Amino acid sequence: MSKFITLLGVVVVGSPVVLLIALGGWSLTGRRFNESVLSRAISATIAVGLLASIAVLAHMLVGDSRHVVIAPGSWVAVPGYHFSLRFVFDRLSVPFAILTYVLCGTIGAFGRRYLHREPGYDRFFVLYSVFLTGMVTASLAGTIETLFAGWELVGLSSALLVAFFQERPAPVRNGLRVWSVYRVSDAAFLMAALLLHRMTGEGDFDQLAGTGFWPYGEATLSSTQALTVGLLLLVAAAGKSALVPFSGWLPRAMEGPTPSSAVFYGSLSVHLGAFLLLRVSPILVLSPLLCGIIVALGLTTAVFAALTERVQTDIKSALSYASLTQVGIIVAEIGLLPPLLGPWACYIPLVHILGHACLRTLQFLRAPTLLQDYRLLENAIGTRLPRSRSIAGRLVARPVQIWLYRFAVERCYLDSWLDNYVVGPVLGLFRSFDRLERRWTAFLTGGTPRTSEHGLPPTTIFEER
Amino acid sequence: MSTIEATTSQRSGSQGRELDEGRLERLRHVIGHAGHLLPSQGPITVFVHHNTLHAFEDLPFDEAVQSGGRIFGCEPYLSEERYREALGRGRIRPVDLETVLRHDLNSRGDEPILSLCTRFELRLAMLRHSIQTGPAAELRWFVAETDALDRIREDAPSAVRERLLTDTHRRAMHDFTEMDGGAGERTGSDEFRDLVDDLRPRFGDLAKADWSDCSWEAFTLRALWRVCREGARGLKPVAATPPAIVRSRDLLLEATGRDTDLLVNDVLTRYCAAYLDQGLAHGVLPDRECGFYQAFCTVHRQPAGPPERWQIGLAQELARLQDGGIGPLACIAESLDRLGVREEQWDRFLSETLLALRGWAGMFQQVEERNDRVVHPIAPGSLVEYLAVRLVLERFAANDVAREELGYAGPLAELPKTVERRLPPHRSTSPEQRAFVVFQLAQLFGWTPHELHGLSRRGWASLVEEIESFPNVERRRVFHAAYERRYLNQILDAMSVHGRRDRQPVAVPQFQVFCCIDDREESFRRHLEEVAPDVETFGTAGFYNIAMYYRGAADAHFVPLCPAVVTPKHWVEERVVEATESNHQRRTKARRVVGAVSHWIHVASRSFAWGAVLSAGAGVVATVPLVSRVLFPRLAAGVRRRLGGHVQPASKTRLTLERAGAEPSPDEGGLGYSLDEMIGIAETVLRDVGLTEETLARLVLVLGHGSHSMNNPHEAAHDCGACGGAVGGPNGRAFAQIANNPRVRERLAARGLRVPEDTVFVGGLHNTCNEYVKFYDTDRVPASHREEFEAARGAIERALDRDAHERARRFDSAPLSISFEEARAQMDARAEDLAQVRPEWGHATNAVTIVGRRSRTRGLFFDRRAFLTSYDPTQDDADAAILARTLAAVVPVCAGIGLEYYFSHVDPYGYGCSTKLPHNVAALLGVMDGAASDLRTGLPWQMVEIHEPLRQLFVVETTPEAMRRVLDRSPSIDRLCRNGWIHLAILSPDSNDVQVFRDGRFHPYVPETTELPKARSSVDWYRGWRDFLDVAAIEA
Repeated sequence: MSKFITLLGVVVVGSPVVLLIALGGWSLTGRRFNESVLSRAISATIAVGLLASIAVLAHMLVGDSRHVVIAPGSWVAVPGYHFSLRFVFDRLSVPFAILTYVLCGTIGAFGRRYLHREPGYDRFFVLYSVFLTGMVTASLAGTIETLFAGWELVGLSSALLVAFFQERPAPVRNGLRVWSVYRVSDAAFLMAALLLHRMTGEGDFDQLAGTGFWPYGEATLSSTQALTVGLLLLVAAAGKSALVPFSGWLPRAMEGPTPSSAVFYGSLSVHLGAFLLLRVSPILVLSPLLCGIIVALGLTTAVFAALTERVQTDIKSALSYASLTQVGIIVAEIGLLPPLLGPWACYIPLVHILGHACLRTLQFLRAPTLLQDYRLLENAIGTRLPRSRSIAGRLVARPVQIWLYRFAVERCYLDSWLDNYVVGPVLGLFRSFDRLERRWTAFLTGGTPRTSEHGLPPTTIFEER
Repeated sequence: MSTIEATTSQRSGSQGRELDEGRLERLRHVIGHAGHLLPSQGPITVFVHHNTLHAFEDLPFDEAVQSGGRIFGCEPYLSEERYREALGRGRIRPVDLETVLRHDLNSRGDEPILSLCTRFELRLAMLRHSIQTGPAAELRWFVAETDALDRIREDAPSAVRERLLTDTHRRAMHDFTEMDGGAGERTGSDEFRDLVDDLRPRFGDLAKADWSDCSWEAFTLRALWRVCREGARGLKPVAATPPAIVRSRDLLLEATGRDTDLLVNDVLTRYCAAYLDQGLAHGVLPDRECGFYQAFCTVHRQPAGPPERWQIGLAQELARLQDGGIGPLACIAESLDRLGVREEQWDRFLSETLLALRGWAGMFQQVEERNDRVVHPIAPGSLVEYLAVRLVLERFAANDVAREELGYAGPLAELPKTVERRLPPHRSTSPEQRAFVVFQLAQLFGWTPHELHGLSRRGWASLVEEIESFPNVERRRVFHAAYERRYLNQILDAMSVHGRRDRQPVAVPQFQVFCCIDDREESFRRHLEEVAPDVETFGTAGFYNIAMYYRGAADAHFVPLCPAVVTPKHWVEERVVEATESNHQRRTKARRVVGAVSHWIHVASRSFAWGAVLSAGAGVVATVPLVSRVLFPRLAAGVRRRLGGHVQPASKTRLTLERAGAEPSPDEGGLGYSLDEMIGIAETVLRDVGLTEETLARLVLVLGHGSHSMNNPHEAAHDCGACGGAVGGPNGRAFAQIANNPRVRERLAARGLRVPEDTVFVGGLHNTCNEYVKFYDTDRVPASHREEFEAARGAIERALDRDAHERARRFDSAPLSISFEEARAQMDARAEDLAQVRPEWGHATNAVTIVGRRSRTRGLFFDRRAFLTSYDPTQDDADAAILARTLAAVVPVCAGIGLEYYFSHVDPYGYGCSTKLPHNVAALLGVMDGAASDLRTGLPWQMVEIHEPLRQLFVVETTPEAMRRVLDRSPSIDRLCRNGWIHLAILSPDSNDVQVFRDGRFHPYVPETTELPKARSSVDWYRGWRDFLDVAAIEA
């Protein structure tokens, strides 16, 4: 029986990898995909992966194994220290994997028709398979380094999908912005992983969690260690889940085709940060201060996003800020509920993630039909649709209202704040290094600038090789 | 406004005030003029097709597309590669290209170019062969890295190639063979030898005469290339210099590479959307009712704004403007002064400034002008206010970029002087680029290196000048004419050949069908005539002359159902029959509850607390609709319909068509038409289509049309154009009800239009997307006609199956072997599919409009490309009054559709709104690309993808005299014809003669063929083929 379930587990993890290798390999040959073959390959992958993960779930529900581990091997293993590739099937990872399969499967079927005859069709589905592999890897990861690998794949494919329409400047600019935020969050993640290894010699979640299985684990770190690691992980999660102050990238990610913006930013990858926090919740509860910071960050994000959502005049931005509101609340729940109510309360944010992801995907996919929906609603109600009034509108004085309106319309100034107070100084610093270097090289070479600065070949040769 | 004037007058006295006022008045005028260039597409929920370059209709077509292209930065025609590809697959025949080119050159075609070739030959070669060119760096790469200097172009004719090689071989041997006794004077051949001397060692010892063919080829090309470079050196550069830059944005972009429009548009997009929003956002822009300028100032002068460096001081500036009572116009004048724009530059400066965010600016103008068509109107003058805000922002952005990139902190008016030094020099065509073109042509014509080397300086100059007088745009213009000629001739041939066939008119029609003139109804009518040969069909503008505000039994508001240029004066409502009144009330209540709950969920799911409750508590339930609608769209739609059936309005309804009160109004008593008005409507339509004497069948079906699809912001663009981009079913229904009215018939008879007593009209709606026809008021069909009605309905069903089948051939996702039933099911599924971006092709195949009797076109396969308007010239009066009113309605609509498709196809990004995939509904008015962009106007690529960009051809069955009278009386149609925005031809009512309108006169058309391809049925003709098909005669 345990062999059987291990086999199932391998299928769950392996099928997207097979798809990725097949699609990636084929696209390297430079030939185009046949649309129907491609869609059959995707449907098959999703069906196999989804059925296998449901089977694992059924097995876990019927049997008594609440924790199945697949360990294909280690990257590095020296006594007292290892980096290993491990996948864990437990009460957190299996629902998340099923969610991934359901939503990605729906988007695969949707995208097949939506992107029909699009020049970037092949590129889309290669990136889609990268994303799927990343999401499945991240959700089932049993060690922090495996999670990081999946996390990276998700980030890479997301940034490239935002810049899907690469012939226009705006998507490329916004894709680059998404990518730089992801890089910051990745750096924090990597530092957290290294710290964990430094503290405990490994990054395995089940070892970290000590005796019990998720969510009942008890970590063995000290409160300060938990705070340090936790804060780094929080930065990582904030980048991925567009929490304050990184929220600016989320609406910008809507540059891609509707299906990818729907599932990738609206519902799956935006929850990945929250998922990470859930995964390490045994560590978080060790530090009340950390939990306080998480709650504060989550609530701030939720309030900012709710405020901003009210004034958005396009449907995709409105939905992405609505999404962000809930992600903020979910993060706050993760910081608040387990310390208060005990480990079982981790299920509340988990259920919240699952429900929210499904609801939002549906709304995103239907976004272009908004005009028809409004007409239907007006006809049903029999009048123009009422504009809801916020609590702020009733309680707050007019000057404050105007100020708040502007604050919300300019998306809480988060982007310009980051640009001016973080990006600007960092750029300035590096430019001053550059100037320093230039002066040094000039000094050392006796006046000639660096060779990299005059790169153009001569313009007179028009012939011989 | 009044306050500024007050302050100004205090400052400078009455004379100054007059000066200022005059200046502001001129400014207002210039802004109004510049505004004409903005896109005139209104809110997307009612989509009206129009000529994208409407503002240029005063110019001839070719001139207009070229200057429009320059102003908007768009393409005038398809790319040369596209035309050349069409030439390759026979879509353009060589004869088309040659004829068009000869006509274009006239007598100048045979003039020799030096002694090399004639002008005609040169230009033809430049058209037929792709002559590559590129920037110097690219050329360098091309010459060095490809076999351009090793292999003669593959498309060079073999005889030419031989001549080039043999001649060079012989001459080179001659030049390089040294005779004993030493050289005499230096000659041309010596110079040539010097030029290529260093090439010799490359290929081996020439004396041994052992160079391979490849070596000779490479030598020839290298020699040719050197000769060309030598020849092209030092020629006069092309004179054209770019026009002076007037916007500081363009100046800074050129000098620094930084685009200030990015900063400005980012802010403006947000505020434009907020100001124009028709109810998408919950929060409304404060002070929206005071106009854009005031609202922007109020909001943006708030303290503690974002730390954007370029906006430092903006709040103070806005406070100064607002508190100083400086109005928008005065503010613009001030900005113009500060930016250093002189009064003679205003026009260009302001139009370029408006075009920087043309979609949103255009929507300001549209919403301002058609305040009646939007829910939340805006104040007049908003466009001026927008411009005022924009210029203030531009000043700040330009100041900041100038300071940061150039270290310039002086006044912006002085900026050009500082910047001009830093501008990169204007690049004209380099000698290498010129040489490369000659190099390629030489290979095609076999001009040898010696021959070219022998040309004088003047010879080179005139050769290069000759080549450059036929640039890319000119080549495309000629190509386009050839592209159109092929199609024009095909249609005109068909019209003149088809007329020669013997045809029996349908003696006693079993039933008659009225359709809209729409090109999509062409195939429906054809199939109907094939499955039921004793049926007659007619085409007339699908609003059936009923211009009304209409409200259905389950609708919240009246919507206009008439062409966009008409403002209706009548109101019509659909009412449930009294017997079902209580049932209706119950259903209305249920619907209201369902609607209120749905709306609440829509809003609450996006809110803070309720959003959490809903998503955590019930979010997973969303998987059911999500998965079912994406994987099984048709099934899901069926389930939804069944569930929705309980709240639909009762099926038994009537239109309130007859007005009791005196004046029409939307209130009880004012609804409907008076008897006289109804008679007028019926008479006009019947006379228009030529149904006057005893020619009405016992059953007449009147079909409006519309289109329903999911997830499609451009849905309205598929609806009936004659109904102003709305669903035209109620018009067909209303017409049937009017024509059935005995009192109307009585009075019609008095006017000499007898409607037989046993004729019954039934209205209906043809859904062109899911391919269904729904009939109205079928309970009123008398028992005597029931059987015939059912038979007619059966025939229509069969025709719809075939119509769906013909449509399916154009969709790659439908197999070519698909059956009628499967095709029908697939069309239905497309309409319900959330993931379908091409629910139908709409007007994508439109190309020709035929105005005349159906008998002249019946049995011709037009491939869904023809608008068919019924008109009987034998019934018209000497003044051609019917023709005049028919064309007045048909020409603007069909020309508008054709031209909008033309422009959206030739430049999908500039004129069209590009791909649908990232579209994002903004402000309930239009779509943006992605998260924030300009409002995108025009048609999406998925609608125009298969379109052949052609100007509409109008074929009118009439005499030259009648046509001329119509043109004389209608300046707008005359302008379209004379300036070549449409093609016009006339078909003689009593012979097969066709005449073409060109240069203001009618010229007889000589058919190119006497035979049309024949097929047994439409299916027989189109089966197995996806692309466009020629016109064929269907011998059903």
